[in-house]
Amino acid sequence: MLAAQRLDDDNPCRPRHFKPPPCAPVVPEGPATQLIDACRSRLAVVAFVLTVLFGVVALRDADVVLLPGGAAEASAIHRMHLVAPPPPSRPDIVDRNGALLATTLQSPSLYADPKEILDRAAAAKAIAASLPGLSVAEIYSRLNPAKSFVWVKRHLTPAEQYDVNRLGIPGLDFQPEERRFYPFGDLAAHVVGYCGIDNRGSAGVERGIDDKVQDKSRPVQLSLDARVQFVVHDELKRVISDFSAKGAAGIVMDVRTGEIIALVSLPDFDPNKPFSQAEFAKSANRLANADKAIFNKITVGDYEIGSVFKIFNTAMALDSGVATMTKTYDASHPIHIGRFTIEDYHGKHRWLSVPEIFMYSSNIGSARMAVEAGAARQRDYLARFGLLKPAPLDLDKVSTPHFPSVWHEVNVMTIAFGHGISVSPLQAITGVAAVVNGGILHRPTLLKQAPGTAPPGVRVISAKTSEQMRKLMRLVVEYGTATKAAAPGYVVGGKTGTAEKALGGHYAEKKLLSTFIGAFPMNDPKYALLMMVDEPHGNKQTYGYATAGWTVAPATSRIIQRIAPILGVPPVDENSPQLVQALTIQSLQGKKIESY
Amino acid sequence: MIRLGTIFWAAVVGVLGFATFAVTYSVQGLEDDLLRVRKQTVVEQQEMRTLEAEWTYLTQPGRLEELNQRFLSLASISPQQLSRTIADIPMRPIEPPPPAVAAVDTTVPAAVAREVKRPAETAATRPAAERPPETETVAVKPAVARAPAKAAAPRSLDELFAQVAGER
Repeated sequence: MLAAQRLDDDNPCRPRHFKPPPCAPVVPEGPATQLIDACRSRLAVVAFVLTVLFGVVALRDADVVLLPGGAAEASAIHRMHLVAPPPPSRPDIVDRNGALLATTLQSPSLYADPKEILDRAAAAKAIAASLPGLSVAEIYSRLNPAKSFVWVKRHLTPAEQYDVNRLGIPGLDFQPEERRFYPFGDLAAHVVGYCGIDNRGSAGVERGIDDKVQDKSRPVQLSLDARVQFVVHDELKRVISDFSAKGAAGIVMDVRTGEIIALVSLPDFDPNKPFSQAEFAKSANRLANADKAIFNKITVGDYEIGSVFKIFNTAMALDSGVATMTKTYDASHPIHIGRFTIEDYHGKHRWLSVPEIFMYSSNIGSARMAVEAGAARQRDYLARFGLLKPAPLDLDKVSTPHFPSVWHEVNVMTIAFGHGISVSPLQAITGVAAVVNGGILHRPTLLKQAPGTAPPGVRVISAKTSEQMRKLMRLVVEYGTATKAAAPGYVVGGKTGTAEKALGGHYAEKKLLSTFIGAFPMNDPKYALLMMVDEPHGNKQTYGYATAGWTVAPATSRIIQRIAPILGVPPVDENSPQLVQALTIQSLQGKKIESY
Repeated sequence: MIRLGTIFWAAVVGVLGFATFAVTYSVQGLEDDLLRVRKQTVVEQQEMRTLEAEWTYLTQPGRLEELNQRFLSLASISPQQLSRTIADIPMRPIEPPPPAVAAVDTTVPAAVAREVKRPAETAATRPAAERPPETETVAVKPAVARAPAKAAAPRSLDELFAQVAGER
């Protein structure tokens, strides 16, 4: 230190041992003092800056460590979740009760690097022992030493993987792969659809998921009930075998929400073994069969469903005020128009009232009713019931209905009893659900609606007309063409339709399409059903008849008796005075009702 | 002085350094554990998916029906069996009370004796709506034990439940 001490030593009386108190070194005035002052101020600045910086760091520390929330915590949590399993590439599909309809499973595939395998013959033998279905020779030939990557087997089961892993052969390894699995097999094949080899949906909801479902992490819950689906599937299979039919289809819909509870189209297929291009190429016959199996009659098919259309025709006439329950129409003679003759299958040859026309399924009466209403009104009502547009179904493809572009009188007449217009069964059931549920048309949906919510609907007919239609449909099951559809306790109502299929421009007499559309319980409809059988042949039990009343009506009765307990519809006493009162048509009271 | 301070701060630095390392290592250890658990969770989750699929496969309605036919032969419920709702089922008729006995207590049934012993405040503190009136009388006036406490015939299930709840 340069500091020189200036001692106050000039006091002569100072004792020797007394030293003046120490004091700061005194820097002599001059350039050195200035330099030291400058250093001090710089030191102060540096100290200040460092204090501020450490303060910031300390605050940040406190923020990160002590205070909850904030970006740091979020990013830490995010990092933790990075280890969570990647969501499957496709969401699960479950039914309304949570039963798995489709799921994605990790299934390992076994591959080998033959160059690393020491003893290929022994390895082939060992692998063949743990992988049933593969022969030793096959595996040995696959382990070609010239290659460094060969698939041994794709999609092993967990047990197979365990066995192969236990062999401990070097050069074998597993590649995790995803595989779509449908535990119920063919049960809901047409609703769920299937996935191609590339794991992309090729039909049904699987295809809909690809296009329309954004959130792929949560399962897609369908409105379907697997138990009801099974009953319908089971009974329709029985109908096909009983009547050696070509196919059958059925749908059950909740009339208050438009939810589809069951949807079956036979023949169907197993989505676990979807059709590959190779299979298609194998034979034309097989291709045709696969084509038929993949065809969803309910949504993609369009049919002239015959007399079932009288539901819409009668609802139109009653709702527009053209007809009343007591009005009568001349059904004594066939109508000749152009080259057509409109006749009655169960002819009465007299004037019939509206309930009688409906009950006896009179084509003549229905045609006259429609002509009285007029083409414009008919078209308007059919459009209201959603029969002139493709059904607005989510998650699946639908067909476009076919109807004449110009609506002549003859079209008006034939459309009255369901000819000259072809609609999909889905459209028909949606319309009928609106007719019976009090007059509100709901969108058909395959997605489960939150229980208790009333989805928006459009009023298409008045509540009064709906009530009248319920009575009429009940009448058909009590006394008309569908007595075999009755299910004691469940107050079934409905309408049969037996149409000849149009083949090459004319109607083929022996090729029928028998349909029954109904609802239950008729005093307060909850579910609507459509059952359809394609080209049934009469048998001994039905005295050779293959009409809807003999084929699908009994099946519907069995279905309702089996599904009503599942769906929680309580049986009622059908003969209780209140019920009889609620469902009796006043104008028919006291009259003797002839059997048809 | 200076030496003491130096020693103190060196000790502080040493302790802090040790603490920092200890915390770091323990956090690393915990993170390793977490990772392992998470990986295990993923494996378990995949296993659960597989098992769930297998369970669904094994409980297909068709298979269940087949098993039922083979082992149980249960039939589906017929509408006749379901023709009454639970509200329609009448209550068991209540037997008329035995004639009142003048002599106290010898004929009092055990159930009634239990009723009597129950502390009165339990019933009294309960909201009145939940208390069936007949048990109340017994509880509040334990002296009146000559005739058995006769429960009025419940008119509905709710009443029955209320009574049962009151007796407990």
